[in-house]
Amino acid sequence: MAKWKHNLKSWLTRRLELPADAVMDLPRITMVGQLHIYIENHQGVLKFSNEEVRLLLKNGQLVIKGEDFMLKTILPEEILLEGKIEHVSYLDKPQN
Amino acid sequence: MKEYIKELFSGYVRIKVIGSYTELFINRCIEYNIPIWDISRVDNETILLSLYTTDIKRIRPHLKRTRCKIRINERKGFPFILKKVVYSRGFLSGVISCILLILILSNMVWSITVNGATPEVEHKLKQVAEELGVKKGAFIFQLPSNQELQQEMTESLEEITWVGVKRSGSTYHFEVVQKQLPEKQPALNARHIVADKKAIITKIYVEEGQVQVKENDYVKPGQLLISGFIGKEEKSELVPARGEVYGKTWYITNVSIPLKSTFETNTGERETKYSVGFFGFHLPIWGFSKPEFSRYETMISETNLRFLKWEIPLSFQTKELLETKEVTREYTEKEALQAASQVSREDIISKTSEKAEIKEEKILHHEVENGKVNVKIHYEIIEEIGKDIPIIQGD
Repeated sequence: MAKWKHNLKSWLTRRLELPADAVMDLPRITMVGQLHIYIENHQGVLKFSNEEVRLLLKNGQLVIKGEDFMLKTILPEEILLEGKIEHVSYLDKPQN
Repeated sequence: MKEYIKELFSGYVRIKVIGSYTELFINRCIEYNIPIWDISRVDNETILLSLYTTDIKRIRPHLKRTRCKIRINERKGFPFILKKVVYSRGFLSGVISCILLILILSNMVWSITVNGATPEVEHKLKQVAEELGVKKGAFIFQLPSNQELQQEMTESLEEITWVGVKRSGSTYHFEVVQKQLPEKQPALNARHIVADKKAIITKIYVEEGQVQVKENDYVKPGQLLISGFIGKEEKSELVPARGEVYGKTWYITNVSIPLKSTFETNTGERETKYSVGFFGFHLPIWGFSKPEFSRYETMISETNLRFLKWEIPLSFQTKELLETKEVTREYTEKEALQAASQVSREDIISKTSEKAEIKEEKILHHEVENGKVNVKIHYEIIEEIGKDIPIIQGD
Protein backbone atom coordinates (compact mmCIF):
# COMPACT_ATOMS: atom_id res chain seq x y z
CA MET A 1 0.00 0.00 0.00
CA ALA A 2 2.74 2.40 0.98
CA LYS A 3 4.69 1.48 -2.07
CA TRP A 4 1.72 2.07 -4.33
CA LYS A 5 1.11 5.40 -2.71
CA HIS A 6 4.74 6.23 -3.14
CA ASN A 7 4.67 5.35 -6.83
CA LEU A 8 1.57 7.45 -7.38
CA LYS A 9 3.17 10.39 -5.75
CA SER A 10 6.26 9.99 -7.88
CA TRP A 11 4.19 9.88 -10.99
CA LEU A 12 2.19 12.93 -9.99
CA THR A 13 5.34 14.85 -9.21
CA ARG A 14 6.85 14.06 -12.54
CA ARG A 15 3.76 14.66 -14.62
CA LEU A 16 2.50 17.76 -12.92
CA GLU A 17 5.96 19.12 -12.24
CA LEU A 18 5.24 19.69 -8.61
CA PRO A 19 8.08 20.20 -6.11
CA ALA A 20 9.14 16.77 -5.03
CA ASP A 21 10.08 17.67 -1.50
CA ALA A 22 6.62 18.99 -0.73
CA VAL A 23 4.67 16.13 -2.31
CA MET A 24 6.86 13.28 -1.25
CA ASP A 25 8.12 14.73 2.00
CA LEU A 26 11.71 14.70 0.97
CA PRO A 27 14.40 16.75 2.60
CA ARG A 28 15.80 19.76 0.74
CA ILE A 29 19.50 20.22 1.17
CA THR A 30 21.24 23.48 0.32
CA MET A 31 24.93 23.45 0.59
CA VAL A 32 27.16 26.47 0.30
CA GLY A 33 30.64 25.29 -0.51
CA GLN A 34 32.04 23.36 2.39
CA LEU A 35 30.94 25.89 4.92
CA HIS A 36 27.20 25.76 5.31
CA ILE A 37 24.63 23.13 4.84
CA TYR A 38 20.98 23.89 5.23
CA ILE A 39 18.63 20.98 5.52
CA GLU A 40 14.90 21.42 5.43
CA ASN A 41 12.27 18.86 6.20
CA HIS A 42 14.02 16.51 8.58
CA GLN A 43 12.57 14.62 11.47
CA GLY A 44 15.10 15.17 14.18
CA VAL A 45 18.73 15.05 15.23
CA LEU A 46 19.93 11.54 15.94
CA LYS A 47 23.54 12.14 16.66
CA PHE A 48 25.54 15.24 16.96
CA SER A 49 29.24 15.45 17.42
CA ASN A 50 32.09 17.56 16.18
CA GLU A 51 32.72 15.23 13.29
CA GLU A 52 29.38 13.67 12.52
CA VAL A 53 25.80 14.74 12.43
CA ARG A 54 22.99 12.31 11.81
CA LEU A 55 19.54 13.41 10.91
CA LEU A 56 16.41 11.35 10.80
CA LEU A 57 14.45 11.55 7.61
CA LYS A 58 11.13 10.10 6.61
CA ASN A 59 12.80 7.36 4.70
CA GLY A 60 16.14 6.80 6.27
CA GLN A 61 18.89 8.92 7.65
CA LEU A 62 21.20 11.67 6.48
CA VAL A 63 24.79 11.41 7.59
CA ILE A 64 27.05 14.44 7.39
CA LYS A 65 30.71 14.02 8.15
CA GLY A 66 33.35 16.67 8.51
CA GLU A 67 35.11 18.82 11.12
CA ASP A 68 34.23 21.48 13.67
CA PHE A 69 30.51 21.21 13.37
CA MET A 70 28.25 23.75 14.94
CA LEU A 71 24.49 23.79 14.70
CA LYS A 72 23.85 27.40 13.92
CA THR A 73 20.11 27.26 13.80
CA ILE A 74 17.83 24.50 14.68
CA LEU A 75 14.12 24.60 14.04
CA PRO A 76 11.50 21.89 14.13
CA GLU A 77 12.03 20.88 10.55
CA GLU A 78 15.11 22.80 9.53
CA ILE A 79 18.70 22.82 10.47
CA LEU A 80 21.67 24.97 9.55
CA LEU A 81 25.00 23.36 10.04
CA GLU A 82 28.31 25.15 9.89
CA GLY A 83 31.76 23.74 9.78
CA LYS A 84 33.96 21.90 7.35
CA ILE A 85 31.67 19.52 5.51
CA GLU A 86 33.32 16.55 3.87
CA HIS A 87 30.68 13.89 3.36
CA VAL A 88 26.97 14.03 2.87
CA SER A 89 25.42 10.60 2.51
CA TYR A 90 22.06 8.96 2.62
CA LEU A 91 21.35 5.89 4.63
CA ASP A 92 18.24 4.25 3.36
CA LYS A 93 15.80 2.80 5.77
CA PRO A 94 16.20 -0.89 5.75
CA GLN A 95 13.24 -2.13 3.82
CA ASN A 96 11.75 -5.11 5.44
CA MET B 1 6.49 39.44 18.24
CA LYS B 2 6.16 40.83 21.72
CA GLU B 3 7.71 37.67 23.08
CA TYR B 4 10.59 38.07 20.72
CA ILE B 5 11.25 41.58 21.79
CA LYS B 6 11.04 40.62 25.41
CA GLU B 7 13.50 37.86 24.84
CA LEU B 8 15.83 40.06 22.90
CA PHE B 9 15.99 42.50 25.71
CA SER B 10 16.43 39.86 28.29
CA GLY B 11 19.70 38.86 26.75
CA TYR B 12 21.06 35.43 26.08
CA VAL B 13 23.41 33.05 27.79
CA ARG B 14 25.80 30.41 26.60
CA ILE B 15 25.33 27.25 28.56
CA LYS B 16 26.92 23.83 28.73
CA VAL B 17 24.55 20.91 28.70
CA ILE B 18 26.15 17.85 30.20
CA GLY B 19 24.63 14.40 29.86
CA SER B 20 24.45 11.25 27.73
CA TYR B 21 21.32 12.17 25.81
CA THR B 22 22.15 15.64 24.68
CA GLU B 23 20.73 15.10 21.20
CA LEU B 24 17.47 14.17 22.76
CA PHE B 25 17.54 17.33 24.70
CA ILE B 26 18.06 19.32 21.53
CA ASN B 27 15.12 17.58 19.89
CA ARG B 28 12.93 18.24 22.87
CA CYS B 29 13.80 21.92 22.81
CA ILE B 30 12.86 22.10 19.17
CA GLU B 31 9.65 20.29 19.84
CA TYR B 32 8.67 22.62 22.62
CA ASN B 33 9.64 25.69 20.65
CA ILE B 34 12.49 26.82 22.86
CA PRO B 35 14.85 28.68 20.52
CA ILE B 36 18.44 27.52 20.74
CA TRP B 37 21.33 28.17 18.39
CA ASP B 38 25.07 27.99 17.86
CA ILE B 39 25.24 24.47 19.11
CA SER B 40 28.67 22.88 19.21
CA ARG B 41 30.10 19.85 20.91
CA VAL B 42 32.73 20.05 23.57
CA ASP B 43 33.18 16.38 24.32
CA ASN B 44 31.18 13.18 24.38
CA GLU B 45 28.95 14.31 27.13
CA THR B 46 28.91 18.07 26.75
CA ILE B 47 27.52 20.49 24.25
CA LEU B 48 27.55 24.24 24.25
CA LEU B 49 24.51 26.20 23.18
CA SER B 50 23.01 29.68 23.27
CA LEU B 51 19.71 30.26 24.95
CA TYR B 52 17.61 33.21 25.97
CA THR B 53 17.96 34.07 29.61
CA THR B 54 14.26 33.78 30.25
CA ASP B 55 14.23 30.28 28.79
CA ILE B 56 16.60 28.83 31.33
CA LYS B 57 13.79 28.00 33.71
CA ARG B 58 11.71 26.60 30.86
CA ILE B 59 14.29 23.96 30.02
CA ARG B 60 14.43 22.49 33.51
CA PRO B 61 11.72 19.87 32.97
CA HIS B 62 13.38 18.83 29.72
CA LEU B 63 16.71 18.55 31.40
CA LYS B 64 15.19 16.28 33.95
CA ARG B 65 13.62 14.10 31.31
CA THR B 66 16.80 13.74 29.36
CA ARG B 67 18.93 13.51 32.46
CA CYS B 68 21.18 16.43 31.64
CA LYS B 69 22.44 19.20 33.74
CA ILE B 70 23.55 22.70 32.78
CA ARG B 71 26.37 24.98 33.62
CA ILE B 72 26.30 28.58 32.57
CA ASN B 73 29.28 29.62 30.49
CA GLU B 74 28.90 33.25 29.65
CA ARG B 75 26.25 35.85 29.60
CA LYS B 76 25.78 37.89 26.52
CA GLY B 77 23.31 40.34 25.26
CA PHE B 78 21.85 43.68 25.75
CA PRO B 79 21.03 43.75 29.46
CA PHE B 80 24.47 42.53 30.42
CA ILE B 81 26.16 45.13 28.27
CA LEU B 82 23.93 47.77 29.72
CA LYS B 83 24.83 46.68 33.22
CA LYS B 84 28.48 46.85 32.38
CA VAL B 85 28.14 50.33 30.96
CA VAL B 86 25.92 51.73 33.62
CA TYR B 87 27.91 50.41 36.50
CA SER B 88 31.24 51.40 35.06
CA ARG B 89 33.00 54.06 37.03
CA GLY B 90 33.47 56.49 34.17
CA PHE B 91 29.89 56.49 33.07
CA LEU B 92 28.48 56.83 36.50
CA SER B 93 30.78 59.65 37.50
CA GLY B 94 29.98 61.42 34.25
CA VAL B 95 26.26 61.28 34.88
CA ILE B 96 26.63 62.40 38.47
CA SER B 97 28.88 65.32 37.65
CA CYS B 98 26.55 66.39 34.87
CA ILE B 99 23.61 66.51 37.21
CA LEU B 100 25.64 68.34 39.81
CA LEU B 101 26.82 70.90 37.29
CA ILE B 102 23.34 71.62 36.07
CA LEU B 103 22.17 71.92 39.63
CA ILE B 104 24.84 74.44 40.49
CA LEU B 105 24.48 76.47 37.33
CA SER B 106 20.73 76.75 37.55
CA ASN B 107 21.05 78.32 40.95
CA MET B 108 23.07 81.25 39.74
CA VAL B 109 22.00 84.50 38.19
CA TRP B 110 22.76 84.66 34.50
CA SER B 111 20.68 87.48 33.19
CA ILE B 112 19.13 90.68 34.43
CA THR B 113 16.41 92.41 32.47
CA VAL B 114 15.08 95.85 33.20
CA ASN B 115 11.74 96.92 31.85
CA GLY B 116 10.19 100.35 31.75
CA ALA B 117 13.20 102.53 32.43
CA THR B 118 15.08 105.05 30.39
CA PRO B 119 18.70 104.13 29.67
CA GLU B 120 20.18 106.32 32.39
CA VAL B 121 17.83 104.99 35.01
CA GLU B 122 18.41 101.46 33.77
CA HIS B 123 22.14 101.91 34.19
CA LYS B 124 21.73 103.29 37.70
CA LEU B 125 19.40 100.47 38.56
CA LYS B 126 21.86 97.89 37.39
CA GLN B 127 24.55 99.49 39.53
CA VAL B 128 22.39 99.46 42.59
CA ALA B 129 21.46 95.86 41.88
CA GLU B 130 25.13 94.99 41.64
CA GLU B 131 25.81 96.56 45.00
CA LEU B 132 23.05 94.49 46.50
CA GLY B 133 24.64 91.42 44.98
CA VAL B 134 22.46 90.79 41.97
CA LYS B 135 24.88 90.33 39.13
CA LYS B 136 25.88 87.70 36.65
CA GLY B 137 27.39 84.70 38.34
CA ALA B 138 25.98 85.37 41.80
CA PHE B 139 24.52 82.47 43.70
CA ILE B 140 20.83 82.93 44.17
CA PHE B 141 20.61 81.56 47.67
CA GLN B 142 23.10 84.16 48.85
CA LEU B 143 20.98 87.03 47.65
CA PRO B 144 18.39 88.83 49.73
CA SER B 145 14.77 87.98 49.11
CA ASN B 146 12.78 89.67 46.41
CA GLN B 147 10.92 91.77 48.96
CA GLU B 148 14.11 93.10 50.46
CA LEU B 149 15.56 93.82 47.05
CA GLN B 150 12.44 95.68 46.06
CA GLN B 151 12.51 97.79 49.15
CA GLU B 152 16.18 98.62 48.93
CA MET B 153 16.05 99.54 45.29
CA THR B 154 12.96 101.65 45.48
CA GLU B 155 14.48 103.61 48.33
CA SER B 156 17.92 104.09 46.89
CA LEU B 157 16.88 105.41 43.49
CA GLU B 158 15.04 108.67 43.62
CA GLU B 159 13.89 108.65 40.02
CA ILE B 160 11.87 105.53 40.59
CA THR B 161 8.47 105.29 42.14
CA TRP B 162 8.51 101.54 42.37
CA VAL B 163 10.57 98.55 41.34
CA GLY B 164 9.11 95.09 40.90
CA VAL B 165 11.57 92.28 41.39
CA LYS B 166 10.79 88.92 39.93
CA ARG B 167 12.97 85.91 39.47
CA SER B 168 12.17 83.36 36.82
CA GLY B 169 14.75 80.62 36.69
CA SER B 170 18.15 82.23 36.44
CA THR B 171 16.93 85.60 35.26
CA TYR B 172 16.03 88.56 37.38
CA HIS B 173 13.34 90.80 35.93
CA PHE B 174 13.02 94.34 37.17
CA GLU B 175 9.87 96.27 36.37
CA VAL B 176 10.36 99.95 36.83
CA VAL B 177 7.83 102.69 37.26
CA GLN B 178 9.62 105.96 36.93
CA LYS B 179 8.70 109.13 38.64
CA GLN B 180 7.23 111.64 36.32
CA LEU B 181 9.17 114.70 37.22
CA PRO B 182 7.66 117.82 35.83
CA GLU B 183 9.92 119.51 33.34
CA LYS B 184 12.12 121.88 35.14
CA GLN B 185 11.62 125.27 33.74
CA PRO B 186 14.92 126.94 33.22
CA ALA B 187 15.12 129.20 36.17
CA LEU B 188 14.78 132.62 34.87
CA ASN B 189 16.20 135.13 37.14
CA ALA B 190 15.48 138.75 36.78
CA ARG B 191 17.53 140.28 34.07
CA HIS B 192 17.89 143.06 31.56
CA ILE B 193 18.54 142.91 27.86
CA VAL B 194 21.34 145.16 26.67
CA ALA B 195 23.00 145.73 23.31
CA ASP B 196 26.21 143.87 22.69
CA LYS B 197 27.42 145.92 19.75
CA LYS B 198 26.68 149.27 18.29
CA ALA B 199 23.79 149.26 15.87
CA ILE B 200 20.74 151.06 14.63
CA ILE B 201 17.56 149.42 15.86
CA THR B 202 15.41 148.04 13.09
CA LYS B 203 12.83 145.89 14.92
CA ILE B 204 11.93 145.18 18.51
CA TYR B 205 9.89 142.24 19.79
CA VAL B 206 9.25 142.39 23.51
CA GLU B 207 7.80 139.49 25.43
CA GLU B 208 8.46 140.59 28.94
CA GLY B 209 9.99 143.72 30.35
CA GLN B 210 9.90 147.39 29.57
CA VAL B 211 11.44 148.52 26.31
CA GLN B 212 13.77 151.45 26.55
CA VAL B 213 14.58 152.18 22.93
CA LYS B 214 12.65 152.62 19.70
CA GLU B 215 13.27 152.02 16.01
CA ASN B 216 16.08 153.85 14.29
CA ASP B 217 17.74 154.60 17.60
CA TYR B 218 21.47 154.43 17.57
CA VAL B 219 22.62 152.27 20.45
CA LYS B 220 26.04 151.64 21.85
CA PRO B 221 27.30 148.41 23.40
CA GLY B 222 25.93 148.00 26.91
CA GLN B 223 22.98 150.23 26.34
CA LEU B 224 19.79 149.04 28.00
CA LEU B 225 17.27 147.79 25.47
CA ILE B 226 14.65 146.01 27.55
CA SER B 227 14.50 146.62 31.24
CA GLY B 228 13.66 144.07 33.89
CA PHE B 229 12.00 146.68 36.03
CA ILE B 230 8.45 147.15 35.10
CA GLY B 231 5.84 149.37 36.50
CA LYS B 232 6.05 152.80 37.97
CA GLU B 233 8.08 153.78 41.03
CA GLU B 234 5.57 152.54 43.54
CA LYS B 235 4.72 149.24 41.97
CA SER B 236 7.98 148.20 40.37
CA GLU B 237 8.51 144.52 39.82
CA LEU B 238 11.55 142.55 38.81
CA VAL B 239 11.03 140.24 35.87
CA PRO B 240 13.34 138.45 33.51
CA ALA B 241 13.27 140.54 30.39
CA ARG B 242 12.52 138.53 27.32
CA GLY B 243 12.46 139.62 23.73
CA GLU B 244 14.36 139.99 20.48
CA VAL B 245 15.93 143.21 19.32
CA TYR B 246 17.19 143.42 15.76
CA GLY B 247 19.58 146.10 14.64
CA LYS B 248 21.62 147.12 11.65
CA THR B 249 25.32 146.63 12.17
CA TRP B 250 28.29 147.04 9.87
CA TYR B 251 31.59 145.30 9.38
CA ILE B 252 34.63 145.72 7.27
CA THR B 253 36.63 142.73 6.11
CA ASN B 254 40.07 142.52 4.60
CA VAL B 255 40.72 139.62 2.34
CA SER B 256 43.76 138.81 0.32
CA ILE B 257 43.62 136.32 -2.52
CA PRO B 258 46.69 135.34 -4.48
CA LEU B 259 46.17 135.45 -8.21
CA LYS B 260 48.20 132.42 -8.91
CA SER B 261 48.29 129.55 -6.53
CA THR B 262 49.66 126.10 -6.84
CA PHE B 263 48.62 123.21 -4.78
CA GLU B 264 48.51 119.47 -4.89
CA THR B 265 45.42 117.51 -5.65
CA ASN B 266 44.86 113.80 -5.81
CA THR B 267 44.50 112.36 -9.26
CA GLY B 268 42.56 109.39 -7.98
CA GLU B 269 45.20 106.79 -8.70
CA ARG B 270 46.27 104.86 -5.70
CA GLU B 271 48.38 101.92 -4.70
CA THR B 272 48.01 99.92 -1.55
CA LYS B 273 50.75 98.13 0.30
CA TYR B 274 50.20 95.81 3.20
CA SER B 275 52.61 94.92 5.91
CA VAL B 276 52.62 93.10 9.20
CA GLY B 277 54.34 94.47 12.21
CA PHE B 278 55.85 92.78 15.25
CA PHE B 279 56.88 94.90 18.15
CA GLY B 280 57.31 97.89 15.91
CA PHE B 281 59.26 96.19 13.17
CA HIS B 282 57.33 96.09 9.89
CA LEU B 283 57.43 93.36 7.32
CA PRO B 284 55.83 94.13 3.98
CA ILE B 285 53.68 91.26 2.77
CA TRP B 286 52.00 92.67 -0.31
CA GLY B 287 52.72 95.35 -2.78
CA PHE B 288 56.42 95.23 -3.14
CA SER B 289 56.64 97.07 -6.40
CA LYS B 290 57.81 100.61 -6.44
CA PRO B 291 54.99 102.98 -7.08
CA GLU B 292 54.66 104.32 -10.56
CA PHE B 293 53.73 107.74 -9.41
CA SER B 294 56.29 110.46 -9.26
CA ARG B 295 54.47 112.41 -6.64
CA TYR B 296 52.36 110.88 -3.97
CA GLU B 297 51.25 111.22 -0.46
CA THR B 298 51.11 108.37 2.00
CA MET B 299 48.27 107.41 4.27
CA ILE B 300 49.03 104.85 6.87
CA SER B 301 46.43 103.01 8.88
CA GLU B 302 47.43 100.50 11.43
CA THR B 303 45.37 98.15 13.51
CA ASN B 304 46.65 96.16 16.39
CA LEU B 305 45.50 92.59 16.55
CA ARG B 306 43.67 91.50 19.61
CA PHE B 307 43.28 88.25 21.44
CA LEU B 308 40.10 88.05 23.48
CA LYS B 309 40.41 91.24 25.42
CA TRP B 310 44.12 91.97 25.17
CA GLU B 311 46.06 93.70 22.44
CA ILE B 312 49.04 91.83 21.21
CA PRO B 313 52.08 93.57 19.70
CA LEU B 314 51.22 92.12 16.32
CA SER B 315 49.78 94.71 13.98
CA PHE B 316 48.50 94.95 10.46
CA GLN B 317 49.42 98.03 8.53
CA THR B 318 47.89 99.36 5.34
CA LYS B 319 49.86 101.95 3.44
CA GLU B 320 48.00 103.80 0.75
CA LEU B 321 49.90 105.83 -1.78
CA LEU B 322 47.77 108.42 -3.46
CA GLU B 323 49.15 109.99 -6.55
CA THR B 324 49.16 113.75 -6.45
CA LYS B 325 49.47 116.34 -9.07
CA GLU B 326 50.45 119.89 -8.97
CA VAL B 327 47.73 122.15 -10.07
CA THR B 328 48.07 125.80 -10.75
CA ARG B 329 45.10 127.98 -10.46
CA GLU B 330 45.09 131.37 -11.94
CA TYR B 331 42.50 133.91 -11.23
CA THR B 332 41.67 136.82 -13.35
CA GLU B 333 41.09 139.95 -11.42
CA LYS B 334 37.36 139.61 -11.68
CA GLU B 335 37.45 136.00 -10.49
CA ALA B 336 39.68 136.95 -7.65
CA LEU B 337 37.26 139.56 -6.53
CA GLN B 338 34.43 137.08 -6.58
CA ALA B 339 36.40 134.59 -4.59
CA ALA B 340 37.29 137.27 -2.12
CA SER B 341 33.72 138.30 -1.54
CA GLN B 342 32.71 134.67 -1.09
CA VAL B 343 35.33 134.12 1.55
CA SER B 344 34.48 137.23 3.43
CA ARG B 345 30.76 136.52 3.32
CA GLU B 346 31.35 133.20 4.99
CA ASP B 347 33.57 134.86 7.49
CA ILE B 348 30.92 137.37 8.42
CA ILE B 349 28.22 134.78 8.85
CA SER B 350 30.40 132.78 11.16
CA LYS B 351 31.12 135.89 13.20
CA THR B 352 27.51 136.84 13.63
CA SER B 353 24.70 134.36 13.71
CA GLU B 354 22.86 132.30 11.16
CA LYS B 355 19.80 134.43 11.39
CA ALA B 356 21.80 137.45 10.28
CA GLU B 357 20.87 138.98 6.99
CA ILE B 358 23.41 140.61 4.75
CA LYS B 359 21.72 143.80 3.70
CA GLU B 360 24.46 145.39 1.67
CA GLU B 361 27.85 144.47 0.41
CA LYS B 362 30.20 147.05 -0.99
CA ILE B 363 33.71 146.62 -2.18
CA LEU B 364 35.45 149.64 -0.81
CA HIS B 365 38.84 149.17 -2.21
CA HIS B 366 40.81 146.63 -4.13
CA GLU B 367 44.33 146.59 -5.41
CA VAL B 368 46.66 144.16 -7.05
CA GLU B 369 50.01 143.96 -5.41
CA ASN B 370 52.73 141.33 -5.55
CA GLY B 371 50.52 138.90 -7.42
CA LYS B 372 47.84 139.19 -4.78
CA VAL B 373 44.53 140.91 -4.80
CA ASN B 374 43.71 142.74 -1.58
CA VAL B 375 40.07 143.52 -1.13
CA LYS B 376 38.37 145.56 1.52
CA ILE B 377 34.62 144.96 1.73
CA HIS B 378 32.04 146.73 3.82
CA TYR B 379 28.96 144.86 5.01
CA GLU B 380 25.73 146.03 6.43
CA ILE B 381 24.02 143.34 8.40
CA ILE B 382 20.75 143.02 10.26
CA GLU B 383 21.09 140.81 13.27
CA GLU B 384 19.95 140.33 16.81
CA ILE B 385 21.87 142.57 19.11
CA GLY B 386 20.31 141.78 22.48
CA LYS B 387 22.27 140.17 25.25
CA ASP B 388 20.84 139.40 28.66
CA ILE B 389 22.45 140.53 31.85
CA PRO B 390 21.18 139.30 35.19
CA ILE B 391 20.10 141.93 37.65
CA ILE B 392 22.14 141.48 40.75
CA GLN B 393 20.39 142.63 43.84
CA GLY B 394 22.70 144.56 46.02
CA ASP B 395 21.37 143.66 49.38
